Amino acid sequence: MADLVTQRKWDKAAPTFDIMASKGAEERWLPAKRELFSNMDGKILFLALGTGLDIAAFPPGKEITAIDISPKMLEVAEPRIAAYDGSITAQAMDVHEMDFEDESFDQVFTSCTFCSVPNPVEGLKALKRVLKPDGNLFMFEHTGSRYYPFKLMMTLMTQISRRLGPEMNRATVNNVEAAGLNVTEVNNLFMDVVKTIKATK
Amino acid sequence: MDHRLYFVLGDLFANLLTGALVGWLSWLIVDPGWNMWIAMFLMMAVSMLVAIILWIPFSVLFGAMEVMVPLMFTGMVSGMVVGMWAAMEQLSATDCFYLGAVCGLISLVVIWILNSALRGTEPVRWR
Repeated sequence: MADLVTQRKWDKAAPTFDIMASKGAEERWLPAKRELFSNMDGKILFLALGTGLDIAAFPPGKEITAIDISPKMLEVAEPRIAAYDGSITAQAMDVHEMDFEDESFDQVFTSCTFCSVPNPVEGLKALKRVLKPDGNLFMFEHTGSRYYPFKLMMTLMTQISRRLGPEMNRATVNNVEAAGLNVTEVNNLFMDVVKTIKATK
Repeated sequence: MDHRLYFVLGDLFANLLTGALVGWLSWLIVDPGWNMWIAMFLMMAVSMLVAIILWIPFSVLFGAMEVMVPLMFTGMVSGMVVGMWAAMEQLSATDCFYLGAVCGLISLVVIWILNSALRGTEPVRWR
C-alpha cells in the first residue's frame, strides 16, 4: 500500500514548495547538479522529480522516466516537463512500490530525495532492483554531519523539519552501502553536508 | 562555500544580522548578576532557535544547508559569548549588538575554513 502519510505531506507542500526552494537553494546548487546530471546516458530513472526544479540542470535530448510520490508536486512540474528539450515521462509512484521490472534502467538519479524517503535503505534496495547489472546510481543529497557541534545542530533541526518535509541528519552514504550498492565516489560540496554520491550495482 | 558575489555577500549579511540580533536579544534577557554558566547555556539554546527562525527568510534568498549550518553556528556562538558577557558586566544594547555581529563574522570565517578542509572527494577511509 502506498505511503499515504508521506504522499499527503508532499501534496500539502506542493503549492508553496517553489517559494522556499526555487531561488536560493536551486541557484546555489545548479552548477553542481549540471555537472552530475551531465552523466545521463542510456535508460534513465529520475527519482522524486518534485515540482521539476531539477529539470533546469538536465542535459538536453535525454529520455527520462521520472517518478514522485506526490501527484500534486507533479502537477506543478507539468510546465517544466513540457518545456524540457527531450522526453520526460512522469508518474506518481512510491519508490518502495515501483512497478518497473527488475534490471530495467542503466542509471538512476536522485536529487535531495533520501532526506525524505521514510525507509531509506529499503528505498535504495528498490533502486538496486531496477538497476541493470553494472548500472549506476548518481545522487545529489544533503546529509547529516559527522562533526560536532554540527551533528547535534542537525539532529535538533530534524525534530522540526521532519514534520514539514526532509530530515537533516541522514547518513545517506552509509545507507547506500547498507542497501548493497558499491559507493565509488563521495564528493563533498559544502562541508560534509551537501554532496554527490556515485555508486554501482 | 560559493564564490559567486551574490552568495558571498548573502552569507555575510545573514550571519552578521543573525549575530547582531542574537546579541541584542542577550542584552534583553540576561542581567548582570546572573550565573554566567546558566546565561551561556540558556542563550545558546534560545539563540539556536532564533537562528532557525531567521533561516526561513534567508534560505529563500541564499540557499538551504549552506545558510542553515552557518546561521545555527552563529546563533550558538553569539548566544554563548554575549550571554556570558552580559552576565558578567553591564553592557549597552549597542555593545551587545556589535559584539553579536562580530561573533557572526568569526563564525562564518570558521565555517569557510572548515568547508575548505572538508570539501572535495572524500578518501574511502573516511567512510
